[in-house]
Amino acid sequence: MTEIVLNGKKTTTDAKTVFELIQAYGLEGKPIAVEIGGEVVNREEWKEKQIQSGMTIELVHFVGGG
Amino acid sequence: MAQLNQANNASMQAEDSWQIGGITLHSRLFLGTGRFPNPYVQNEAIRASGTQVLTFAVRRINLDDPDEDAILQHLEGIDREGERPFIFLPNTSGASTAEEAVRIARLARASGLSDWIKIEISSDPKTLLPDPVETLKATEMLVKEGFTVLPYASDDPMLCRLLEEAGAAAVMPGGSPIGTGLGILNPYNIERIVEESRVPVIVDAGLGSAKDAAEAMELGADAVLVNTPVARAKDPAGMALAMNLAVQAGRLSYRSGRIIKRKYATASSGYEEYKIR
Repeated sequence: MTEIVLNGKKTTTDAKTVFELIQAYGLEGKPIAVEIGGEVVNREEWKEKQIQSGMTIELVHFVGGG
Repeated sequence: MAQLNQANNASMQAEDSWQIGGITLHSRLFLGTGRFPNPYVQNEAIRASGTQVLTFAVRRINLDDPDEDAILQHLEGIDREGERPFIFLPNTSGASTAEEAVRIARLARASGLSDWIKIEISSDPKTLLPDPVETLKATEMLVKEGFTVLPYASDDPMLCRLLEEAGAAAVMPGGSPIGTGLGILNPYNIERIVEESRVPVIVDAGLGSAKDAAEAMELGADAVLVNTPVARAKDPAGMALAMNLAVQAGRLSYRSGRIIKRKYATASSGYEEYKIR
């Protein structure tokens, strides 16, 4: 188990990579974006990018807005 | 009647296309996607508006319910066979500095759906008026990163000129504060911005009804962006159609050249000497 801060909340995860983390929330194939420590992680990097203890991760999407 | 309208609309729009960042557009109405009563009504309104450009905000996913507010999946329900795909215009709402706006813009682009970005930077919760200094800064930064940048700005001709010089693909002066429905508070400024801009001018924010959209177009705007007046109307689809027609009417009125305003009456019939006495 790895401790991370995900979307502002402290949490633990079994995911080893960003892709696994996204899968854990059923978000694969969805138009979402990922940021770790303030830097965007592009889609092509999701499978390689390792989740490490203490990371601050944001998962974002589009919502209604003007 | 409806068919006749559609035929007229199609031919009028075909000869009056315009461009942003090399993309040709035929509709001059941008529609926001916030605050609709439900996805069904929203889709009806999108269809009625005839829009090609939809705006969105970028937010954290609610991980307790990842499908909640996943607005894009509802759009698939819109039957637009044979028509062009929508262009997505994400905004940077929630940002109060240029740095925050750049962060949101990068995330929006990383979604893989669009490299257009509407810069929206505000630090005054009461008016939500855009911060001109931060907006200019963010425009410079995002243009350098290759975005198609559409800054929402105050209705200030000087500021709009600076945004254009910084590389904005269009400028989006506000008519009045977001969601107020106060319409165009300073038509003089909008006219000056239109006169001076070499990039498209899209009047954004504050419009309340079809009349305001027509006014923006009569002042020479290239397009308008509306959200609240459609989403919160009693009948959003009806208002979306009204906006669609108003934008076309206003545009045609602008191109056709209005008469000069006069203080006193001029009889419309003429033939003074043949009056029956």
